[in-house]
Amino acid sequence: MEMIAEVKQWLEEGTVDLFIGYKMAMGHPLPHCFVKEKIEEVDDLIIGTSRYALEKIATHITAAKPDIKIGLLARDCNQRALAVLYIWNQLKPDQIRTVNVNCCPSNLKEHGDCSYLEPETAGFFKQRVGVNNTHRPRDIEKYDQPERLSRWMYEFQKCIKCYGCRNICPVCFCQECSLQHPELVGTGALPPEVPIFHLVRAVHMAGRCIDCGLCEDACPVDIPLRLLYRKVNEIVVNVFNYETGSGADQPPFSILGDQVTLEPKPLQALEN
Amino acid sequence: MTIKRITFLQELLAFMGLEGRLHLEWISSAEAQKFVRVITDFTEKIRMLGPNPLSGCNGIANAAELETVGGFGKSQSIQQKRLANSY
Repeated sequence: MEMIAEVKQWLEEGTVDLFIGYKMAMGHPLPHCFVKEKIEEVDDLIIGTSRYALEKIATHITAAKPDIKIGLLARDCNQRALAVLYIWNQLKPDQIRTVNVNCCPSNLKEHGDCSYLEPETAGFFKQRVGVNNTHRPRDIEKYDQPERLSRWMYEFQKCIKCYGCRNICPVCFCQECSLQHPELVGTGALPPEVPIFHLVRAVHMAGRCIDCGLCEDACPVDIPLRLLYRKVNEIVVNVFNYETGSGADQPPFSILGDQVTLEPKPLQALEN
Repeated sequence: MTIKRITFLQELLAFMGLEGRLHLEWISSAEAQKFVRVITDFTEKIRMLGPNPLSGCNGIANAAELETVGGFGKSQSIQQKRLANSY
């Protein structure tokens, strides 16, 4: 296997300090960190069909050890996520090496080594009152305004506020999350404040979402999040002429200063 | 930039089914008549659209009241009202 030989070489020569790939554990392909000290483990490195946000693991490691050099397996979605993470200064391109592997099957590629095929077909009830996960944004636009609201609210009110969509998201990296800020999204009730909870996240996905579909994969109640964020990025393309993940330009919603915080600093200082 | 951001939000709200409830206008302090016209027109527009379908308890109860719309059958609306009441 060329891939295994290459990864071994990278680790031995110190091109990377660690390599994130998949390894079978208890019958499941799980993300695993391969290191020089346990080089024999690299023989178990697999590509597999499962999909995790490996670049998110890399982001966490880099946050703790900024100078570390990381190698990782990258499908197309991982590569788009990496491009976004470079733009947002979460990772440095010269510290990341990727082994590019085959991607989800799509219209362009019939064969793919990935667990994400197509969303499940929506059942009868969901088709009647909810939003079909396999639809495209323009299919939703066929409904009139009250029906759109009604259908989206049906989907959103199923939310159990597990934060699965945020936790799996490769491009969610804020230290302080608006979704957990009690003044922005009310606490203590299920479903969470809808549609604010989902719209806040949708707005934050503008110019960031790389359409990997992990959020929808992770959602225990099957909310068509990928469809919602697709629409959001469609608007970003139309209004700002910005294609997410394709270039090195700052996204239109970037207002990052040195430190991002939700505290109303200047006002509070005045009051005190 | 503001006009682009607001356009973004207007389109997102339209996709959700809340079209026409967000308006942006530049009015100088010297344009009293324009201010009156814009506010009157927008008030009239909102009145035509009716009350905010999301006002009140989490918006769910009200959304359920849209039972005449599209696919919402009666059993669904009752189920949703029960849901809304239990929170």
